[in-house]
Amino acid sequence: MNVLGIIFSYAKRENLRELTKIRTLASLPIGGKYRIIDLLLSNYVNSGVTDVSIITQNNYHSLIDHLGSGKEWDLTRKRGGLRVLTPFASPGTGDHPGGFFQGSIEALAGNMHSLRRSMEDYVIMSGSSMLYNMDFERLLDTHISTGADITAVYAEPSRTCRSVPVGVPIYHMDDQERICDLTVNTEEGLKDDVPWGMFIFVLRKSLLESLVADAMSYQRYDFEMDIIKRLAPTLYIRGYRYEDYVLEISSVTNYMEANMNLLHKSVYDRVFAQPIYTKIKDSVPVYYGNECYVKNSLISDGCRIEGVVENSVLSRGVRVGKGSVVRNSIVMQNTEIMQNVSLNHVILDKDVIVRENRQLAGHVTYPVVIEKLSIV
Amino acid sequence: MGYTKKKEMIAMLLAGGQGSRLGVLTNYVAKPAVPYGGKYRIIDFPLSNCVNSGIDTIGVLTQYQPLELNAYIGNGQPWDLDRLYGGVSILPPFVRGKAGEWYKGTANAIYQNMQFIEMYNPEYVLILSGDHIYKMNYQMMLDYHEEKNADCTIAVLRVPMEEASRFGVMNADQDLRINEFEEKPPVPKSNLASMGVYIFNWSKLREYLVKDEADPDSTNDFGKDVIPEMLRCGERMYAYEFKGYWKDVGTVESLWEANMDILDPNVPLNLDDPPWKIYSRNGNLPPQYVGNHAAIRNSNISEGCIINGYVENSIVFPGVTIEKGAVVRSSVIMPGCRIGADAVVEYSILATAVNVGERARIGYTEKTECAGGGHRPITVLRQRLQIGCGVIIAAGAMLEEDVYGEV
Repeated sequence: MNVLGIIFSYAKRENLRELTKIRTLASLPIGGKYRIIDLLLSNYVNSGVTDVSIITQNNYHSLIDHLGSGKEWDLTRKRGGLRVLTPFASPGTGDHPGGFFQGSIEALAGNMHSLRRSMEDYVIMSGSSMLYNMDFERLLDTHISTGADITAVYAEPSRTCRSVPVGVPIYHMDDQERICDLTVNTEEGLKDDVPWGMFIFVLRKSLLESLVADAMSYQRYDFEMDIIKRLAPTLYIRGYRYEDYVLEISSVTNYMEANMNLLHKSVYDRVFAQPIYTKIKDSVPVYYGNECYVKNSLISDGCRIEGVVENSVLSRGVRVGKGSVVRNSIVMQNTEIMQNVSLNHVILDKDVIVRENRQLAGHVTYPVVIEKLSIV
Repeated sequence: MGYTKKKEMIAMLLAGGQGSRLGVLTNYVAKPAVPYGGKYRIIDFPLSNCVNSGIDTIGVLTQYQPLELNAYIGNGQPWDLDRLYGGVSILPPFVRGKAGEWYKGTANAIYQNMQFIEMYNPEYVLILSGDHIYKMNYQMMLDYHEEKNADCTIAVLRVPMEEASRFGVMNADQDLRINEFEEKPPVPKSNLASMGVYIFNWSKLREYLVKDEADPDSTNDFGKDVIPEMLRCGERMYAYEFKGYWKDVGTVESLWEANMDILDPNVPLNLDDPPWKIYSRNGNLPPQYVGNHAAIRNSNISEGCIINGYVENSIVFPGVTIEKGAVVRSSVIMPGCRIGADAVVEYSILATAVNVGERARIGYTEKTECAGGGHRPITVLRQRLQIGCGVIIAAGAMLEEDVYGEV
């Protein structure tokens, strides 16, 4: 496909507490063996986009470690392939302060040398806080056939994402789906049928280049506010409705909800309707012991389960000891839960050890998060 | 000019055998490609052993039903064998001008690929077969080979004397120098059984391969011809004793046993061994989903499975669906099978993508106890078989045809 994919590995409105302290949003584990970037990249690859750049801002160590050469996503290519663009922390000149990007536009401007080199004519840009299974080929076809300058994807509240996330733009469109204006949602739990922006945009690369250069010269740094909103009257910016599932991750509670959603057969089948690629660990199959009791859970390779696991999502290499009970929880890679432990509404990050007889409980509205490498 | 990279030792893996004793399991695949252990195929073991031992150049000799095996090995990337120099090469028989022929025997297969070995100009050649489950460091065997200044070293296992007659047996002196080799002797003189793993000095092996080829009476086999001939000529041949788990999975019974061994804490076969991982090609399946009606006891279950039934003492491969009310006991369920609701599968091996209808019974017997305290005979279903609803398949059957059930 004649498309360069651009993924922002971070989101400006995230509040994931300890979970993103040591990693960028895109490398947050999800669905057991995956990280957010796996679902995003697989969506590009499954749609036939094999030239993808990932723009990072900070804490990107774990992302780079996870992606390696991109081989596992079939993105080790002579033409295109995977490129991770790390911040170009310039010393600053004159009126430009240098340092980190101040917004998505500056991030694109800082990496324009690399984006310009791609031979593709179109760009599909996306963020890292929404997960979906979208046919980008159809999206591009629609963009071309409608003659839009920019196509912006929107969703409406659905079964997997019941309310409009706080901080996302609400698009105001005419009856031809042309976007006239944009406002930011500030209301928590807004369930109205309003179209909200998923931060997925399609446009010609040449247009992106000139829009970015223009915005930079006026020191405007935010793609949504400074390009979509400001240029809505002059450019033909069109909405594109996406109707399948959306998992939205910007807080610990909806991170929990997104994982729990995968336990519903209908969501599981849609999320995994196409292969999701990830780093291969060559772990052994799961071993279930003689006294284990597992219900309604997702379990990844390399786990060893001798206790009770219910309504939970376990990453690779998790150990659950005899007499332990894990309910409504997310347990990340290589975490060990020793014997007679009780966990309810808990998120255990990677390489945590929970020693014998410990009890931890959060609430569905406020899960307890245990940081990576902790010993409880 | 070009850069060449001489290799100290390369491996030649004999993967062309039919494995006819595995019956319908090898109808469409060569024995080394038969699934084993929940996510592996038999060939993953020698390949991973090589890579973990630092051997990065492997020729895989194929002949019988090679297509699935070729696709599985691909460019060797899952085993880290996609290399600038060496890596894995598939070596099928080929035509030479008007000549060319099938591999006549194990030794002839290597003889026909002498040119391949010459490309790497190795000091030593390691000969392996694709039908054994074991974890072995070939580098340690090579150290031993050099230490003994041997021409050929054969890996051996001490087996119980009463079982020795099933193997190729080495008779060796105190220093483990071999003085006699007997293939399946009725009255064995020793219990050192050959594991089918040989290290040869390449120059010596080449000499004997040429000699063997010139002998019209030879069956061109390592065990029957080349090794006895080298012994007769007084070459320095040593036995290298391997201590650890090793199993020939050449029969249905032994393949089933080797799978069950993974679940037996008393058997020294640990696959969860980070410094000695067994690599395999990955199917990119999602984590397994264990549903509300599932109960699992002492079993290994792999990615992409949907489990809603009862599973006990079994090895379940990727992408298997076990529906509500189904019971799977002491069985090996290969990738992509579906076990319908309320079906019962006991003491069986189901090859890839078998579909068992609702309420069917596989491996059924009226007897609850078997004579001599052993388990009931193993039932084997060929790949992609369709078993209709309510069908009963008796224990010990080897099934090749679909069976239709109630309409």
